[in-house]
Amino acid sequence: MKFAIALFSAAHAPSSRRALLFAQAALAGGHEIVRLFFYQDGVYNASGSVVTPQDEQDLPKQWRNFVSEHQLDGVVCIAAALRRGVLNEEEAQRYQREAVAVGAPWELSGLGQLHDAVQDADRLICFGGA
Amino acid sequence: MSTLHVLSHSPFGNDRLSSCLRVIGANDALLLSGDAAYALQPGTAPFTTLQARSLKLFVLGEDAQARALEVPDWAKAIDYPAFVELSIHYDKVNSWL
Repeated sequence: MKFAIALFSAAHAPSSRRALLFAQAALAGGHEIVRLFFYQDGVYNASGSVVTPQDEQDLPKQWRNFVSEHQLDGVVCIAAALRRGVLNEEEAQRYQREAVAVGAPWELSGLGQLHDAVQDADRLICFGGA
Repeated sequence: MSTLHVLSHSPFGNDRLSSCLRVIGANDALLLSGDAAYALQPGTAPFTTLQARSLKLFVLGEDAQARALEVPDWAKAIDYPAFVELSIHYDKVNSWL
């Protein structure tokens, strides 16, 4: 079974952790994740600038490790990322900003990537809110 | 066509649960996650409403446990592998973001 997973909430929201646990369980169950799409505040999960308190789950790091380890297609909405200052090298140069927050394994791209993933997947699962 | 409805907000802060219960179909199911698990707090209006409806009702076990909520016999506690299987069993998953 092919899953597309969309995440709408920031790294410190409980729903982001649930999305990760769902994604891990999907792969452990022998299923495929065709794409992870981080939208709206979900883009913060891809930020390398987030500093998580020591006694809390470091979701951005856990996502990064998960995506790298399984070589998943992790896409961050570029419009949502730009307005939140979550830039990769290319965008930082384009808009002449100093802070680069996103690198591999993430890719900044458009909302069309979510639409495309939904066409390819058997199920779209969204996480966000509380 | 069947749908798994997923709630994550507390039923005491907004109308998502009642909106969901208005549209939920006979073949659908409801999964309570995060603060939505508070709907299983005995003696409350959401608890009474859910108890009176013969829904297919699930709750993420760790979210109920983290809130010291006992899972009544008309709901089923599930883990993440079971969540994945539920999302496959139903044709669509609708998250009430």
